[in-house]
Amino acid sequence: MRCSIPPWPALLVCSASVWAAGDYVAVPGGRFESALPQGPVSSISTPVAIAPFQLRAEPVTNAEFLAFVRSHSDWQRGRTPALFADARYLLDWKAPLQPGAADAAPVVNVSWFAARAFCESEGARLPTWLEWEYAAAADETRQDARRDPRWRQRILSWYARPGNTPLAAVGGAANRFGVQDLHGLVWEWVDDFNALFIAGDSRTQGDPDLLKFCGAGAISVIDRDSYAVLMRIALLSSLAAADSTGNLGFRCARSVDGDLP
Amino acid sequence: MNARFVAVVLLLYASALVQAAKPAGAAAGDFGPPRGAPIRAVLTSPPHVPPPLSRKFPAKVIVELEVIEKEMQISEGVNYTFWTFGGTVPGSFIRVRQGDTVEFHLKNHPSSKMPHNIDLHGVTGPGGGAASSFTAPGHESQFTFKALNEGIYVYHCATAPVGMHVANGMYGLILVEPPQGLPKVDHEFYVMQGDFYTTGKYREKGNQPFDMEKAIAEQPTYVVFNGAEGSLTGDKAMKVKTNQTVRLFVGNGGPNLVSSFHVIGAIFDKVRFEGGTNAQTNVQTTLIPAGGAAIAEFRTRVPGSYVLVDHSIFRAFNKGALAILKVDGPENKAIYSGKELDSVYLGDRAGPNLAAVTRATESQARGALTLEDQVHAGRQLFAGTCSVCHQANGAGLAGVFPPLAKSDYLAADIKRSLGAVLHGLSGKVTVNGQEYNSVMPPMNQLNDDEVAHIMTYVLNSWGNPGGRVTADDVKVQRAATPAAKPATH
Amino acid sequence: MSRFQMSRRQSLQWLGLAFATSAMATELPGDSVYQLRVPLTDQHGRPFDWASLRGQPVLASMFYSSCDKVCPMIFETLHLTLKALPARERAPVKVLMISFDPTRDTVPVLQRTAQAHACDERWTLARTDEASTRKIAAALGVQYRRLSNGEFNHSSTLLMLDLQGRIAAHSGSLGSVDAALLKALHHV
Repeated sequence: MRCSIPPWPALLVCSASVWAAGDYVAVPGGRFESALPQGPVSSISTPVAIAPFQLRAEPVTNAEFLAFVRSHSDWQRGRTPALFADARYLLDWKAPLQPGAADAAPVVNVSWFAARAFCESEGARLPTWLEWEYAAAADETRQDARRDPRWRQRILSWYARPGNTPLAAVGGAANRFGVQDLHGLVWEWVDDFNALFIAGDSRTQGDPDLLKFCGAGAISVIDRDSYAVLMRIALLSSLAAADSTGNLGFRCARSVDGDLP
Repeated sequence: MNARFVAVVLLLYASALVQAAKPAGAAAGDFGPPRGAPIRAVLTSPPHVPPPLSRKFPAKVIVELEVIEKEMQISEGVNYTFWTFGGTVPGSFIRVRQGDTVEFHLKNHPSSKMPHNIDLHGVTGPGGGAASSFTAPGHESQFTFKALNEGIYVYHCATAPVGMHVANGMYGLILVEPPQGLPKVDHEFYVMQGDFYTTGKYREKGNQPFDMEKAIAEQPTYVVFNGAEGSLTGDKAMKVKTNQTVRLFVGNGGPNLVSSFHVIGAIFDKVRFEGGTNAQTNVQTTLIPAGGAAIAEFRTRVPGSYVLVDHSIFRAFNKGALAILKVDGPENKAIYSGKELDSVYLGDRAGPNLAAVTRATESQARGALTLEDQVHAGRQLFAGTCSVCHQANGAGLAGVFPPLAKSDYLAADIKRSLGAVLHGLSGKVTVNGQEYNSVMPPMNQLNDDEVAHIMTYVLNSWGNPGGRVTADDVKVQRAATPAAKPATH
Repeated sequence: MSRFQMSRRQSLQWLGLAFATSAMATELPGDSVYQLRVPLTDQHGRPFDWASLRGQPVLASMFYSSCDKVCPMIFETLHLTLKALPARERAPVKVLMISFDPTRDTVPVLQRTAQAHACDERWTLARTDEASTRKIAAALGVQYRRLSNGEFNHSSTLLMLDLQGRIAAHSGSLGSVDAALLKALHHV
């Protein structure tokens, strides 16, 4: 709920609409070369076609998640089965219905199941890894800035900052697709986070234990210079679905034609 | 048949018995299952080392190590976000005994942004443990290994991108003591070198992020011991007394650089180079590979500040690879006296300045060689060659070497003198009324130009008649007479 | 018999129902995978509620029918594991195999796969929609990804679920029986 005082002095208008962060932007489709091998040969990049989709401009905020747990009491802290959210779920909240950080900061300490449930509640879903990677490849002016060392360095600088400082509010600069805060704020869940299985020891790339993942070793990243991507994959693949961390949030996506990609 | 022979046979038999006592297929260093109650390992922060173990049997040792990402100073006024094992760079020192069964708990602090794992070089197993210890923030992993090999080993994080995790300080040392322990020393210290890469320049103040491009190019901004410039200097210097034995466990976390480890003013009595079993004695500087370690021991004798450096010396003085071991105690003048004398030193004439020769050569090339050029060049060439015998003023040495100054011998026949320079001269000669009977060796080391310049100089010096000798003259003269035996000394 | 008297059989049935409902009435533990309600269909085309497995020990894994590398070994390893159990412990064990590939693993395909791997009535091969498949894998800790050619890379985890649907043991070893699974089945 947000209350605002309009020009008419006598009225105090409270609207039930969540604020602008809930807006979706249309991301056009395109051909995309993922840093992860998409074809059967793990060392060759197979371009894939990304169908057009809609993506939330911002990560989900504390205010929005609060509204969600109010109306979906199953997802309040303390009421959610351990299968869906572990002991760290919403740990930073002062109470099950009271966020511990700013309303406009991205919600963190949410599990994959909780993130999914939120997205389902607004007729949406989590983005797939490819959709996320595709949207995140852009900077302010280019759709694919991944070759630019400055783009990489900016992202690496965020990784290098310690994780125990309070999170900033959502609302960073929009990239070429109109999506904000894909980098520099929080890690984000994706729908197929458990498809990103790198080996626990990442130096075994190129030495696949073919039985371990049925026909492939753990995934090797094709572009060794994509550190930004690599670190994101490392983080997501270290998690289980009920896990949460203080630096991990999410945003939702919608298919244009209604089906999962 | 003598007693010695019998003793040898008995010894062989006894050792065979000992070998047979090991279960079949057991690896060397496997002393059987752990005995006694599990022990919680004592870990220390650098530069301290846990006390030596006095256990005589293998045990189960529980190691708990926590990963913390934290911001610390890398240099005065310069902050850097380190990823640490145990809150320090290098990480906590782990000390176990060969044959111990180590139950390793790796925790990743909930505030961490990144997942982490650990590869211990002393582990025999996939990834050195890395495959089994991949840990998300807010989680703990556990794996168990047997420490089969004794030695000093590096451990480090091996999560992709490995270089970045190591570059942020995720390394440390684990010591696996031999069963009988290490020989006793007075002090043990833990020192580990690392190279760091920041986007800002050396000592540029403020928060400095990691620079991947510099790391790939292997151009560090800082090369330091124990994670920061000045971590072991000033009041944080290591302190010992004279006549004490010191053992340094020195590691090199890298990620890129090899260390040329040296302690200024000390010689290592013993170095277990590469941390292996063999030792070298009397070592000044030892190489420690990236991802490697060594054990250096020496006895202190003379008080003072002993500087630990990477002897790739610009790293020590321009990037921070400098630490201090302060030795206190009475002086020992017999070994080192300090400065005894300070007096004036005049030095000799400056070494030959051959600028004039160069000028002459250039002039000649232009076809503009003047008499003056030749005289100047000849003067420089004369010095140190001819002057040795004939003296700088051409006076010669009475009864031994004829003079060149106002020489009637020279004036009478310039070609004859030129011949002496080129081919040598022996036998009786009379110069300026004096008889000389020496051997002048041929000056085969001089080329035509040089001979020409020298001759011209002599002719125009000390009252000689003047004139000029050109390189062509010399060439002609040289060809005319067969070469004599070369000058011998 | 008067209509107010129940036959022995009927009273036994009522007792059974009462017992079953009371068992259902005891709450499902928070970490039971059966907390996840998913619409599964088995190899006979019947709707299957995996919570109905409650009260029995379950060996579970995920597969896809056109997999020729690892999935056949998963089936074999499960057969081996069952054989390694003493008859008394083997009797109540159920096996649940869920497909990664609902698009191609239709009911007839599941039927054929079950026959090809000599799966008797103790085995359920099931499929559900894409989103639910992803949720099941997440709950079981199984990783999978679809490649552009329709094949899957996936982890080959065998799980043992206890009587309440909690994951009691898991194993990655194929081709041989994992003692951890046997132990968990023994202690259930």
